[in-house]
Amino acid sequence: MKFITKNLIVYAVLLFVYSVVFRYALSAVLNAEKFNFAYVAGIVYGILIFITAWNLGKAHSLRKFVFDAGLGFNLTTYIIWGLVSELWFILGFNSRYETIKAVHYTLIIWGVFVIIHFIIYWRLKSRTIRGVLKSEIFD
Amino acid sequence: MKNTDRYKNELLTTWEETYKKGQLTLWIFLALKDGPKYVNEIRDFIEEYSEGTISCEEQSLYRALRKFNHLKIVGFSSGKGNKGPDRKYYELTGIGIEILASFITRNIKLFFNKKLIELMNLK
Repeated sequence: MKFITKNLIVYAVLLFVYSVVFRYALSAVLNAEKFNFAYVAGIVYGILIFITAWNLGKAHSLRKFVFDAGLGFNLTTYIIWGLVSELWFILGFNSRYETIKAVHYTLIIWGVFVIIHFIIYWRLKSRTIRGVLKSEIFD
Repeated sequence: MKNTDRYKNELLTTWEETYKKGQLTLWIFLALKDGPKYVNEIRDFIEEYSEGTISCEEQSLYRALRKFNHLKIVGFSSGKGNKGPDRKYYELTGIGIEILASFITRNIKLFFNKKLIELMNLK
């Protein structure tokens, strides 16, 4: 099964942009000590990711019948978010209220869920042929 | 209609509905074995040779054909349409031809057994 698809690449690019904007907004509001706005930035960022992934993932699986249990999108989000966050600290763009530890803890905990997701995907994969659920091929 | 007749008819219709559900694939493959066809021709073939017992919506056919194309069972090429844009002419691939032949051998030919023909009162 083709894992890296056009929709996944579009998602990765959009997510990269969202993540840079989110990190910028977060650092800016923290530097300005407007802590309540940090929640707003986080919620908007989360909603944007959800809507984008939902639409691109749904359109892709409907058109191509591909079943990957959302693993591609989860893994892409994990990598892009981790990459942007790490770079943000390496380049020194972070506010004094942000710590790299929070990023690392998030990556470790999220990483456990990515591994669980991968195990679920691997088990479901045996029920598919070229990414299409066997029960849906000749239905 | 008597109650018994209505009951028998209801049972028969329910059986037929279930039976026909799984038949669309076979009919699509038979239509394409007959030669490359665009969607409307496939639908017409199915309706004609099933004597109207199997009817299929265009959307169901497109969905099935896209799925079979993804699975390399069906291929297509573009051809001229009547006045309008080019049409997709679908055909069975090598894999499609082979699995259809195997399916017929394993599931259809057994009905041509002499005993079964007698039981179905076809003689």
